[in-house]
Amino acid sequence: MNMQHVVECVYKSLNHKGEELCGDKVEVVRTEDSDILILADGLGSGVKANILSTLTSKIIATMMREGAPLEDTMETITSTLPLCSVRHVAYSTFSILQIYHDGRAHLVEFDNPACFCLRGSKLIRPAYIKRTISGKEIRESFFDVQMGDYYVLVSDGVTHAGVGSVLNFGWPWHDIANYLAEEAAKRPSAHRMANLLSTACDELYLHQPGDDTTVAVAKVIPANHLHLLASPPQHKEDDERMVKEFLDGANLTVICGGSSGNMVSRIIGKPLRASLKYLDPSIPPTADLEGIDLVTEGVLTLSRTLEILRKCVTPTGEVQNLELLDAGNGAAQIAKLIVEKCTHLTLYIGQAINPAHQNPDLPFDLSIKCRLLEELAELARKLGRNVQCYYY
Amino acid sequence: MDLTLCVGSSCHLKGSPAIIERITALIVEHHLEDKINLSGSFCMEQCTKGSSGVCVQVNGVHHSVTAATIDDFFRQEVLNAL
Repeated sequence: MNMQHVVECVYKSLNHKGEELCGDKVEVVRTEDSDILILADGLGSGVKANILSTLTSKIIATMMREGAPLEDTMETITSTLPLCSVRHVAYSTFSILQIYHDGRAHLVEFDNPACFCLRGSKLIRPAYIKRTISGKEIRESFFDVQMGDYYVLVSDGVTHAGVGSVLNFGWPWHDIANYLAEEAAKRPSAHRMANLLSTACDELYLHQPGDDTTVAVAKVIPANHLHLLASPPQHKEDDERMVKEFLDGANLTVICGGSSGNMVSRIIGKPLRASLKYLDPSIPPTADLEGIDLVTEGVLTLSRTLEILRKCVTPTGEVQNLELLDAGNGAAQIAKLIVEKCTHLTLYIGQAINPAHQNPDLPFDLSIKCRLLEELAELARKLGRNVQCYYY
Repeated sequence: MDLTLCVGSSCHLKGSPAIIERITALIVEHHLEDKINLSGSFCMEQCTKGSSGVCVQVNGVHHSVTAATIDDFFRQEVLNAL
């Protein structure tokens, strides 16, 4: 691949019914020359499975980060995992997908369902070899990735979905592959893809998963830089510099705030047209400005964006309630860009004090923008976005 | 006639959605759709003048309008000026 790619790695887990802990564990490792997605599924469920899969994924992540060979990693896992007192084996299945920055990929699978590799709307089947390391038979593939590819790693909770109730023998691998291929044609974001498959499993389980069920998705996408400008600078003479830096190198541009919109409009010499259409009566409408992807009102919109993100992003960085991103109003549009569109987020934060916001008669504290932006940056980092903040 | 309503943060909190709804209804009621160019704007920098209403600009002049004064405002500043 010529264009610089980013591998977005996300996952979504359903816990075995009645369990507080998941027996599957996903780790993402970013090394100097590659991105690694690891999914481990521990024997059983609950605490024991969680310990087995955590140990397995952490050992793999740590050793691969340091460049250890696969043989040493497997041997370490085999001799470290505690033995199950019931079954007298130390066992956790795993899948490791390593995608190098030059586009080469290395896939290692031990007893997990085979990775679903999707290119466009087609399933591709990279050739694999079988070999035995430390008494374990693994499947190993070497191939090249392309822009837009999806790689979906799953635990067997996915292929067992619905077993004994909705589907007699669970959800066959080929049927899942067809389902994913159909969805891949619609080019969903990695988060949406993970949510689609895990929701489908949850429904097959009638919302009572009989096994820990995990979907981990790696999507190969171009770098997408979102620049967001909020508030004019403290000193008016910095206006031009701020706007110039804000526009420089952006794939997507968002302005949060009326005064900021007016400032950019003045500097780039294009009119700002605010709409009177309220998609949601509690959030002010957006505005049009040629050359800018989205212009919204400031602090009320940002507060709502954060409310949406808090409901969507879990403490582990998993994403849920994706329908909240589709509401169409300014706040939901910003949230959607952060969750589903950008890979890099740069905040251009002006520190001008808006005299209109220092009004104690208003039913809302409008002077909290800075804090909102800090929380926004924090949530975007949790989503794996590369975040930078510049103050003016 | 150009009629511009503020939809910025402060005016939003002071009730611009209700003002927009009422003005739109009044324009329809008086069949003025062709004569009035209704548009939105972010802050027109009148907030610090201490008004409690939403900022509405008529042909370049700013007015402060509330739900209680909207009908009078429309009669005096819009109908009379047309």
